[in-house]
Amino acid sequence: MNSNDYILVTKELTKSFGGLVAVNRVSISVRKNSITMLMGPNGAGKTTFVNVCTGVYRPDSGKVFFDGRDITGLPPHEIYKLGFVRTFQIPIPFQSLTVLENVLAAMNSVGENPLIAVVKRRWVRVEEDMIEKAFKIMDTVGLSRFWDLPAYKLGAAQLKMLEVARALAVGAKLIALDEPIGGVDPAYANRILTYVRDLKERFDVTFLLIEHRIDIALPYVDYVYVMDRGSVVVEGTPNEVVKNPKVIEIYIGE
Amino acid sequence: MELIPPVILYILVDFSVYLIVTLSLNLEVGYAGLPQFGRVLAVLTGALVAGAIPGRLLALMYGLPYGPEYAFYEYNYKVVDTLNTILEKNPLLSITIFIFTLVLAMVLGAVIGYLTSKPAIRLREAYLGITLLAMGDVLMLITYYYTPIIGGTTGVSVVDPFRWTGGARFYVATFTLLGIALLTFLLIERLTKSPYGRVLRAMRDSELVITVYGRDIVKLRTYTLMVGAAIASLGGALYTFYTGSCIASTYTRVTWTFWPWAFMMLGGTGNNLGVMFGVLVFVIVKTLIVMYRGLLAPYVPFDPVWLEYTFVGMAIVLIAIFRPQGLIPEKPIFTIPRKKIEELIKA
Repeated sequence: MNSNDYILVTKELTKSFGGLVAVNRVSISVRKNSITMLMGPNGAGKTTFVNVCTGVYRPDSGKVFFDGRDITGLPPHEIYKLGFVRTFQIPIPFQSLTVLENVLAAMNSVGENPLIAVVKRRWVRVEEDMIEKAFKIMDTVGLSRFWDLPAYKLGAAQLKMLEVARALAVGAKLIALDEPIGGVDPAYANRILTYVRDLKERFDVTFLLIEHRIDIALPYVDYVYVMDRGSVVVEGTPNEVVKNPKVIEIYIGE
Repeated sequence: MELIPPVILYILVDFSVYLIVTLSLNLEVGYAGLPQFGRVLAVLTGALVAGAIPGRLLALMYGLPYGPEYAFYEYNYKVVDTLNTILEKNPLLSITIFIFTLVLAMVLGAVIGYLTSKPAIRLREAYLGITLLAMGDVLMLITYYYTPIIGGTTGVSVVDPFRWTGGARFYVATFTLLGIALLTFLLIERLTKSPYGRVLRAMRDSELVITVYGRDIVKLRTYTLMVGAAIASLGGALYTFYTGSCIASTYTRVTWTFWPWAFMMLGGTGNNLGVMFGVLVFVIVKTLIVMYRGLLAPYVPFDPVWLEYTFVGMAIVLIAIFRPQGLIPEKPIFTIPRKKIEELIKA
């Protein structure tokens, strides 16, 4: 296995809370410019796994490599700087900020230093570039016409796309999408996944898709890991995975 | 000669000083979401700088006592009197010492802000609020009972950088304060309508998300506490120069923390223009109460001195119940004008 082909590699990653082993020796490899899906029923440990990878939690043991670099235990903002960004299962917009501001807030500007903020000409150029970039992204995810609405006025599906837009805005190499179609009706879910597919092509990013609705998501993904009770139980291409009796057992029961 | 009625000057001074202090509070509370219940700490810092430093520097220059004895009441009024007669004839020195003190007050204010940011990293919400509140009270009590800095319970007189303007002293002082307050308003407007203001509001809305998007919230909080404290300290120094005296007991948590909170809440938390409006309304009403409370004495069953406090307290409760967003609520902010953004989209 050539490590250059993989953007994210975890080795035996483990995290427990008290007696509960939420993530149990999980080893996965996410190929560059792919949509890799991490699926499993509720409580399988998918979100915790992403939290450990992105530095929200420290792992008890194991290693996380991002783009060939050991990022185990780094704080979230360091991991972000390297180009690994996550979205949230339940969208958390900056409520009172407009859609545009939400996307802009995801990007870094020199004008965030108060001493520089005072001198407008030192950041206004960057700001204009950022706004143009933000609109390109908002166009791709269908949010442009809501640009000046405060985020609290958006609907559930739009908020999901706002999450994706913010992640794209930072020029991430790898975006972990935590249940992007959770709670969204099937028609719109397909649209979201089509957006994701387009975005993968247009922005040269990799997606780690955390989902439990296999029926809708499978046609869009390149590779699948199935988690259950903290461990990876099955992996393979979508076609292999749907036929695997273990997967059927997990989802439908024995 | 009375060009402007004294009550108007009094209102303008109160408005100016409280505008500066309340804007600094709004930056920390309204924009950054920090529970700043210790505003008085930075205001007192500025007052201490103005009360203790320019007089001593001048005393040192002119061979007068400048050590701990400067602050003792037997010496203080004589030393300050002598210095004031010198300043009266020397506008350049007066202006230099005035500006130097204000800059120093802001620098030391920022240092105090930096120190308060240390617990702010570990504590949040109510716990941080309590800690900040206690810090303000501690500094007030120390400087009230420890005489060598600003004379403890007797306070000190403060050198008067406006003395050279003679009969126009109160006009010049008042409009200098007002001018500086309006400049502060423009500065804060610029700060909050910038990427810095945006990231503060984003942090206020969700610390978790802004962390995930690569911001170091410890750094953001530290910057903000420093900027806020520097500005509040400027307010304290100006007030001290205006009144010409400095005593720690002036700087209570009621007058320099809770009042600015009330002004901010009335005007509109997170909206600088709202804050300006809130300060103006409150200061006018407060002044009218002070002027006319004597007339009300027969009708209230307590000492009318407390009317001011009762009024502010009642206002806080009523605002919190009926209009928590304030008279002029927060609005979406554009770092560059809306029109310009629309042009950018079309291009």
